[in-house]
Amino acid sequence: MKIEVKKNIMATNSSVAAGNRQRLAEHGVCMLNLMASPGAGKTSVIMKAIEGTRDRLKLAVIEGDIASEIDSLAIEAMDIPAIQINTGGSCHLTAAMVSTALDHLDLDSLDLIIIENVGNLVCPAEFDLGESTRMVIASVAEGHDKPYKYPMIFREVDAILVNKIDLLAHCDFDLAQFHQVVQGLNPAAPVIELSCRDSYGTDEWCQWLEATAIGSRLDLTS
Amino acid sequence: MHEYAITESILEIIQTEATRAGAIHVDEVTVVIGELTSFVDDSIRFYFDELAQGTVAEGASLKFQKLEARATCNSCGADFRPRNAFFSCPECRSAVFELRQGQELFIESIDVSQAEPTDIREN
Ligand SMILES: Nc1nc2c(ncn2[C@@H]2O[C@H](COP(=O)(O)OP(=O)(O)OP(=O)(O)O)[C@@H](O)[C@H]2O)c(=O)[nH]1
Ligand SMILES: [Mg+2]
Ligand SMILES: [Zn+2]
Repeated sequence: MKIEVKKNIMATNSSVAAGNRQRLAEHGVCMLNLMASPGAGKTSVIMKAIEGTRDRLKLAVIEGDIASEIDSLAIEAMDIPAIQINTGGSCHLTAAMVSTALDHLDLDSLDLIIIENVGNLVCPAEFDLGESTRMVIASVAEGHDKPYKYPMIFREVDAILVNKIDLLAHCDFDLAQFHQVVQGLNPAAPVIELSCRDSYGTDEWCQWLEATAIGSRLDLTS
Repeated sequence: MHEYAITESILEIIQTEATRAGAIHVDEVTVVIGELTSFVDDSIRFYFDELAQGTVAEGASLKFQKLEARATCNSCGADFRPRNAFFSCPECRSAVFELRQGQELFIESIDVSQAEPTDIREN
């Protein structure tokens, strides 16, 4: 006998994500889902954001890693709440994991939560976590072909960071070509160039972040 | 690797449906995948064979149907099929479009065996 099912396989994750979004909206908290390949500079970029916005924004960080607590310890050392999620082998965070992490944060005291997703450009893009903003980091060391290989993630984010700009002189990264490809894929997303090594562009990054956090709070509470 | 989580969800859904239908075995599962998702059907099949062991769906065959992508151009309103994320509108070359179809992942149907007619309760 044939049974029509017509059920979305991602439905469970989507409904938990919607719950997270609702909960954050009630507390007026913006949540940023930061995605990138391993080593592109996610933790470094978060640390720059903390340094640059901590007088104005109350931040917390959710660290997703397959194993280890290295990144969350680095954030805690800056006196910022950090919740470590070890996915135990899984290549992406799920909305349920983030929901558990939110239980451990005092949402009333926060403006912005930054999620460092697991280093990977494919899987995280498929899983809604309940975030208000999505971002991807490409780094000069990886080469400018990333948007060709992983177009979906570049298409679906609200902003794109190009990190390790200090390495331009040492790599064959074609910045003009990168801008052109990304512009075609996602004309609305700002592309911010920065270096966590010499702090080039970190002001622009922090300004964008602050405007986003405040803007989303206005959206959420209006 | 995210196919593992996906396969767990597939099994959960079909077990619920099979129980509701009073099925003793799930013989076939039809899954629809939008052509612009990154899900790999062979990989789902691999995990399915493993995870379905000892369940009502053990040995079920998995069938995949690709759903073609459909988009509407934001500039000229043309309806077209973007073959990948780089596609631009065939009418006006604009790269900005609304993807209406092509990112789905759902279970279309299952084929089940039920117990002998004498075992089926009226209701
Ligand atoms: N030259 C240079 N190195 C950088 C920059 N940003 C980060 N790095 C280095 O790149 C390496 C990886 O940086 P992380 O911030 O740990 O990257 P990540 O994406 O968090 O890495 P995983 O969590 O392991 O995936 C470290 O050695 C950093 O010091 C940069 O702007 N320029
Ligand atoms: Mg890190
Ligand atoms: Zn058009």
